[in-house]
Amino acid sequence: MKKHPMLKYLKEQGPQGDRLPLIMCPGCGSGQVLNFIFMAIDHLINEQGYQKDNFVFISGVGCHARLTSHYLNFDSGWTIHGRTLPIATGALLANPELHPVVITGDGDTGAIGGNHFIHACRRNLDLTIVCLNNKLYGMTGGQSSPTTLNGETTSTNPYGNFEADFDLCELAKTAGATYVARWTTAHPTKSVKAILKGLENRGTSFIEILSQCPTHFKQSPSQMIREYKEKTVRLEKMQEDDAGKIPIGEFQDMRKPDWSSSYRKIVQSVQNKTIQD
Amino acid sequence: MTQDIKFIQGNEVCVEAALYAGLDFFAGYPITPSSEIAEHMAVRLPGIGGKFLQMEDEISSICAITGASLTGHKAMTATSGPGFSLMQEALGYAIMTEIPCVITNVQRGGPSTGLPTHGSQGDVNQARWGTHGDHAIIALTASNHQDLFQITVEAFNLAETYRTPVILLLDEMLGHMREKLIIPKVDEIPVVKRLRTAVPDGVDFHPYLPREDGRLPMSDFGDKHRYNVTGLYHDMWGFPTSDPQVIHGLIHHLMDKIENRVEQLTRYKEYFLEDAEVILISYGSSARSALHIVKNRRKRGERLGLLELQTLWPFPAGLVRRKTRQADFVAVVEMNMGQIVDEVKKVVDQHKRVFLVNRVDGGFITPENIKDMIRLIQGRGV
Repeated sequence: MKKHPMLKYLKEQGPQGDRLPLIMCPGCGSGQVLNFIFMAIDHLINEQGYQKDNFVFISGVGCHARLTSHYLNFDSGWTIHGRTLPIATGALLANPELHPVVITGDGDTGAIGGNHFIHACRRNLDLTIVCLNNKLYGMTGGQSSPTTLNGETTSTNPYGNFEADFDLCELAKTAGATYVARWTTAHPTKSVKAILKGLENRGTSFIEILSQCPTHFKQSPSQMIREYKEKTVRLEKMQEDDAGKIPIGEFQDMRKPDWSSSYRKIVQSVQNKTIQD
Repeated sequence: MTQDIKFIQGNEVCVEAALYAGLDFFAGYPITPSSEIAEHMAVRLPGIGGKFLQMEDEISSICAITGASLTGHKAMTATSGPGFSLMQEALGYAIMTEIPCVITNVQRGGPSTGLPTHGSQGDVNQARWGTHGDHAIIALTASNHQDLFQITVEAFNLAETYRTPVILLLDEMLGHMREKLIIPKVDEIPVVKRLRTAVPDGVDFHPYLPREDGRLPMSDFGDKHRYNVTGLYHDMWGFPTSDPQVIHGLIHHLMDKIENRVEQLTRYKEYFLEDAEVILISYGSSARSALHIVKNRRKRGERLGLLELQTLWPFPAGLVRRKTRQADFVAVVEMNMGQIVDEVKKVVDQHKRVFLVNRVDGGFITPENIKDMIRLIQGRGV
């Protein structure tokens, strides 16, 4: 049987090779997103000479985090709920050769780690953040998250969510991220390209991917993926009567110096001054 | 040969010593009375090519140093009580994942915002028990700048040796006080380097498999070995497990690597203990006043002695028991409501011989305060 080409990035064999299959529920979008990430990385390794050892996966806590520690044939830190970005920040700045791939979720990024998210974007750290937005807390049983839509019923909003939802892409853009995009599991090619662009960008890249949770929304995966096509609209094609639809596409694509290159200039000026003194 | 002599604040001593120990990454958040540590780091680190980062809060500060340490760099953060409270979550993560790092807490009055500009020793128990779950911790302190330099270097050494976070407990008095410091020459104090695995490329690396001597070699994120880290209970690969036998081994390992090495981890100083009838036990800046009164009363023929603890955790129970055996009574001098006195009571043969001599009003405990209380204990009146 022919193997999946991305299987090489998972721990399939050897003493640690008893981890597969993935722990995810049937129909979950997380495995799709992991595939998107691998395809982007595969391209960089094979086409652009990126070193595999330099990719480091950092995740928080939640369903998304399950993608990292169990299975990956990469260095990985499965960290603390919401603290994904500061730990990735420390690793990246201590070793700027790394390509940290921060896998996070809507709760991790939008709620408990919201402040870290804002400041990572503000610093324009050379990180690629892939946010799996399933619009609820899956691992703990389907509670509301900051991206749960108004009116949606969850286990902590049994009478319907009456709060406003967060647009994480708009937040990232406003906070200073230099590449921001939103796609869904129904847009695999666009998702892979966005992750690739994010990894190539020398700065903070935020790629939100709407990822279905059929378990807690009690819907069929195919129906949810179909809705990702029907209920989204390309940002550049948005019309007034598209209100209520989810904008997808690139929210930001600009270049400015990342934290490490700005800091390097400080280091050089201090060291030159010391030599002159 | 000329000596490198400085007249600086305790907080700056901590910075110089950390650099001596090989630190090249600092992340922190401003908080009185520790801010000078961040400020001096900000001045010093770019010049040596190190990284200084002011984070958005104390939570992210400690997270950043754990991330930096995972890439093979020696890292520290510094804070005070309220910030130390915020750090407890990631402190537990560093303990569980066995990431070497140093957390300096320049103590101030608490709880809550408390008394930011005045000294206290109220976080001694928080250093031991602040993070959740069963764990062991190393916490060190010092009473003067020369010792602080030595102890700070040792904090980094112990962090590397035992792959654990180490808490450095200063207090406002020590952090802000200026006194003489002779900067030790290179190699005068041994510096422990990061122990990296010798496993060759292509052979599986076990980040949680101790060598025969108990040490656990590390790899760096970005190096050739695959390296997985998780805050969950994990096996020798660093992979999550719910196997009771593996969990049992992990928890005992985390406790035993510190609690079974109390003697090796104990740092202390003693003054006039041989014939002491009254033994003061103190630590940090309180020990300065305790030493003053001991020397003063010795001149008058009173047989006072001082045991100054530099290792607070793991608590040096055997040392305290041995040293206090002959004493009529023991007075623990500390600036809190009695955090070390309870430990002393647990180990001294008759706990009724143990008294607390403290001050918690924001003022510094003076030799006079100690003298008065000792006279009360002795039934001599003030």
